[in-house]
Amino acid sequence: MISDIKKEKIIRKGAEASLYYGHWFEKEVIFKYRIPKKYRIEELDKRIRTERTLNEARALIKVKNYGINVPPVFEIDSSNSTIIMKYIKGNKLKDVLSELNNDQKIKYFNKIGKIIGTLHKNGHIHGDITTSNIIITPDENIFLIDFGLHEYSDTIEDKSVDLHLLKRVLLSSHGKDYEYCFNSFLKGYKSKIRSPKYEEIIKNVNAIETRGRYVKSDQRL
Amino acid sequence: MKSLNLCLGIESTAHTFGIGVVTFEGDVLSSINATYFPEEGGLHPVMVRESHLNAFFDTISKALIRAKVSINDINLIAFSQSPGMGPVLKIGAWVARLLNQILNIPIVGVNHCVAHIEIGRLLCQIEDPLVLYISGGNTIVSAFESERYQIFGETLDLAIGNMIDSFARDAGLQHPGGPKIEKLALMSNNYIPLPYVVKGMDLSFSGLYTAAKYLIQSTDYGNKYNLNDVAYSLQETAFGMLTEVTERALAHTEKKEVLLTGGVAANKRLQSMIEYISKEHDARFEVVPLKFAGDNGAMIGWAGILRYKAEGGHTISETIIKPKERMDQITIPWRS
Repeated sequence: MISDIKKEKIIRKGAEASLYYGHWFEKEVIFKYRIPKKYRIEELDKRIRTERTLNEARALIKVKNYGINVPPVFEIDSSNSTIIMKYIKGNKLKDVLSELNNDQKIKYFNKIGKIIGTLHKNGHIHGDITTSNIIITPDENIFLIDFGLHEYSDTIEDKSVDLHLLKRVLLSSHGKDYEYCFNSFLKGYKSKIRSPKYEEIIKNVNAIETRGRYVKSDQRL
Repeated sequence: MKSLNLCLGIESTAHTFGIGVVTFEGDVLSSINATYFPEEGGLHPVMVRESHLNAFFDTISKALIRAKVSINDINLIAFSQSPGMGPVLKIGAWVARLLNQILNIPIVGVNHCVAHIEIGRLLCQIEDPLVLYISGGNTIVSAFESERYQIFGETLDLAIGNMIDSFARDAGLQHPGGPKIEKLALMSNNYIPLPYVVKGMDLSFSGLYTAAKYLIQSTDYGNKYNLNDVAYSLQETAFGMLTEVTERALAHTEKKEVLLTGGVAANKRLQSMIEYISKEHDARFEVVPLKFAGDNGAMIGWAGILRYKAEGGHTISETIIKPKERMDQITIPWRS
């Protein structure tokens, strides 16, 4: 049957994984292969790659239940740290953001806020929300990808770290769009996360930024 | 008007009180440190403050003698204004204001993290690097992007140096524990699984610290494994995390240079890991020379010169310390 599964071309070589385009029983698919990292000792590296592969596959299957667009998983090969999933046609938000007008940006970030809010409401933490992990399809749907750092959690801390990561990416890579994009994101997010939880999360996002330095515990926000 | 050519830099954010004499052309004439070592425990801000208060005059004198200049030859005072321990920052700011008023020369406040990057760029002759800045108080992956040193990744709780030092202290080793842990780790290749926590490009070390602490409190300690094994596992896990986020940031920013700085940059194992990923991404890899990778006055002097040249000095009311200022809150006019 192996002839029915074939990798055809590499489409992206990321820091963590290589993505290959190919076919799986006549379906267009992506082979996501987590590359061995030689800087880590083998034992640790193997553990991380296997964990993240399984973690991602499970998360992709679970979050679909909440109506969130993610690529369907077709096959998991944990010993080769590979997931075979449906090929989603579209562009990374990172690459198209500068081509969008302000109204489109606001619309998309509001939707993204709702998506992340839905995840958080149901105890899912994405773990790596960046503009590279959001796909905009030609028919303007939003797909969320890369769930390797996904966690199950209902704590304020984990949810606020998730938001902190997005805030960080917007600030560092899309500085001039940050303010209204993030505000629009928060509006969407707030529509899914009720008070006072929403306020607690936002307060903690700010507190995170003062950590890791010489800040006394009583000076923290 | 006197021609400006010498800056005295004052570092006082944590355990090091450092004085550096630097020319406006970027020659470091001297760099003298007085470092506080606690007899036991960690760094208590008040104890550090007292130590620096006792050491400042002597340190300035030594730095001037080493540079073969008189205090009257100094044309600019630079001091570490942020971030750091409040009581300790105050000593630097206080000494700087004293000299500023006695000598009647300009004063300029400097962000400590920016100074680490700038001295690295100067000494390694590197233009636009991705920086991994790791020390007792900071764990930051940064690069220059739209007028600022943006923070791409950072610790969400403990700084890497603080984490290793704290663990070393729990294991009965004296401060600073980092170099001792590095030596012990060389004597093991028995990896004990520990929590590996990467969140996007950010890191969390608190769970790793607790897990390592439990290992040395366990009844298996001394039977199934020893301190060398825990030191090895701690380093491999923590450095694996650091290298992973650095690689992510490198892939994201597509910079062609990587600069390793801060006190923890001295660790050879970490150096080899960062060098490996730099090669993989065709980036030039540099480590800031050891003497200037840790906290020092020369880096404050050089960053002060850059800011002074770009936008002049600060008024006394602008020299208030900012213990919590983030590196990405300030613009970098000399690179724009």
